[in-house]
Amino acid sequence: MRLSSSMLVRQNLTRKLGRSILLVICIGIAFFVFGVLSSFRAGFEGSEARSERLVVVSKIGGNETLPLRYLETLQGTEGVASVTHITRLRAHVAGNERNIIGANAIDPESYAKVYADTYVFDPAMMRALADNRTGALVGRQLAARENWAVGDRITLTSFVHTNQKGTNDWSFEVVGILEGTEPTVDTNFLVVRYDYFNAAVVRGQDRVGLFGLKPAPGTDLDALSARIDAGFANSAAQTRTQNEVAFMSAFLQQFADVALIVNLIVSVAFATILLIVANTMIFAIRERTLEIGVLKVLGFSGGTIMRVVLTETLVLFGAGLALGFALTAAAIPVLGDALRSVVPDLYMTPRVIGTSLLLAIVFALLTGFLPALKALRLPIAAALNHR
Amino acid sequence: MTGTSSAGRNTIELQGVSKAYPIGKSHVTIFDNLTMTIEDGDFLAIMGPSGSGKSTILNLIGGIDTIDAGTVSVGGTALNRMSPAALTRWRAAHVGFVFQFYNLMPMLSAAENVELPLLLTGLSRAERRKRIATILDIVGLSDRADHLPSELSGGQQQRVGIARAVASDPQILLCDEPTGDLDRKSADEILTLLQLLNSQLGKTILMVTHDESATRYAKRTLFLDKGRFVPDEVRQCA
Repeated sequence: MRLSSSMLVRQNLTRKLGRSILLVICIGIAFFVFGVLSSFRAGFEGSEARSERLVVVSKIGGNETLPLRYLETLQGTEGVASVTHITRLRAHVAGNERNIIGANAIDPESYAKVYADTYVFDPAMMRALADNRTGALVGRQLAARENWAVGDRITLTSFVHTNQKGTNDWSFEVVGILEGTEPTVDTNFLVVRYDYFNAAVVRGQDRVGLFGLKPAPGTDLDALSARIDAGFANSAAQTRTQNEVAFMSAFLQQFADVALIVNLIVSVAFATILLIVANTMIFAIRERTLEIGVLKVLGFSGGTIMRVVLTETLVLFGAGLALGFALTAAAIPVLGDALRSVVPDLYMTPRVIGTSLLLAIVFALLTGFLPALKALRLPIAAALNHR
Repeated sequence: MTGTSSAGRNTIELQGVSKAYPIGKSHVTIFDNLTMTIEDGDFLAIMGPSGSGKSTILNLIGGIDTIDAGTVSVGGTALNRMSPAALTRWRAAHVGFVFQFYNLMPMLSAAENVELPLLLTGLSRAERRKRIATILDIVGLSDRADHLPSELSGGQQQRVGIARAVASDPQILLCDEPTGDLDRKSADEILTLLQLLNSQLGKTILMVTHDESATRYAKRTLFLDKGRFVPDEVRQCA
């Protein structure tokens, strides 16, 4: 039956080739919009964010800091396996204000424990950082982008942090290149030692931007979050604890609700496509009423004809998806360059590809179902009288 | 392509058949207690005015329309008691249809059109190719195998239609005005071909026609009017 299906599917798709091509283009554009916007969203939010890790920030907002001493309290909280702290330098490459760099001051030892499953912390590299107070670990993607290598001395200018020399320029030596555990992990940032930063900074000493926290296996994250926030409820700096994904989402919503915008545009695009394809398929089946009747007369079952119709929509969506992927792959490098300051690392994540595949199958079945059902139920005698 | 079977094995019988179609809020009766028998190997032409129920008889025997009362049986098997799926399988194995307007798949070649019913037979690709070549040779279209229907004349398209109808070697051929869209010469060629299938291969053929001269090719002709056969007009041919 496979051959019969393929013969009929080929016949049906090529009889009005122009219409089929337009449908494929239509579907391709929808997946292109989805691919680009979802990649943008993933890049914007940080695709390596993990829902099983927690982030503790100031309840007031992301720009507020928390006391470093909270570290000990957090370490002693039941359900916490390891905890570290991160403080953003808010810096750009010296001499170029538009070239903003993701730079964080960290405690290398605890940082490596919390983020061990996201980044590769080579022991030699970590020793080099421990031996050099002004050392910096530069992410592979950032190093490639700025053409930095181990041994280079780099100068960043902070927008907010002034050091003991009375300047906002901070000088570091690249002592290692930080790799992600997977190729898709964003490494478009660098880390420096917090102890050096904290000793050199003029204001905001012993304050950190956030705490990163790895819960013990089997811990109820909601309960742990609530426990942490309750513990600091009566302090001067109250906390908000949430998982990394939620944190990134909330952080980015300070600028724009990217998720909402993306979802709205994608929903409108797909709803339109769904209506167009479903409508076209219903008309196509109506045009073919007589042929469906003839096939049934020849002995083809309603189920076989239904499968042919569904296969048609699957082929249309498959071709549209391929076109969408091709357009997205072609557009992303161009968009990536233009949007580098907003989304440093724009690429199609495996999740975007997987979701696209899933959507293509679901929409193909959705748009094909009604026409297929119509073909299945079509009475032969009535179909043969159709002209 | 033997097709010949022992007499009576595929006898077609309509017993007390009634059939009405809903038109608007009322029902139009096509048959009321119709009874007829068609022996295996017969070549029967059915004539009659439009709306007399000629095509409905073909649809009932082919299992593509249902009856309101009575029995339609072929070789003792009551079609009206079969499930839709069983009827579909039975039709694929026992009946070939030839239509007035050929009803070929427009984007498939002549050979592919003939191949369609063979896809349901379980034959291998090589066996199907061999069978298609034989059938197209019988209908005189070996050199047109790769042509699309739009590239063939009306007569040639009807030959493809007949080739498709006999491809899976069914015993019964139901022809609904097979020459209705053809010129005289092409019509005679098609009728000669049908006669050949009946006389040489033993196919049982029921042919609905408005063409008086077409009845010369059939073994007998029945005249149908308002859902009843007209006794005086029944005559033996040949």
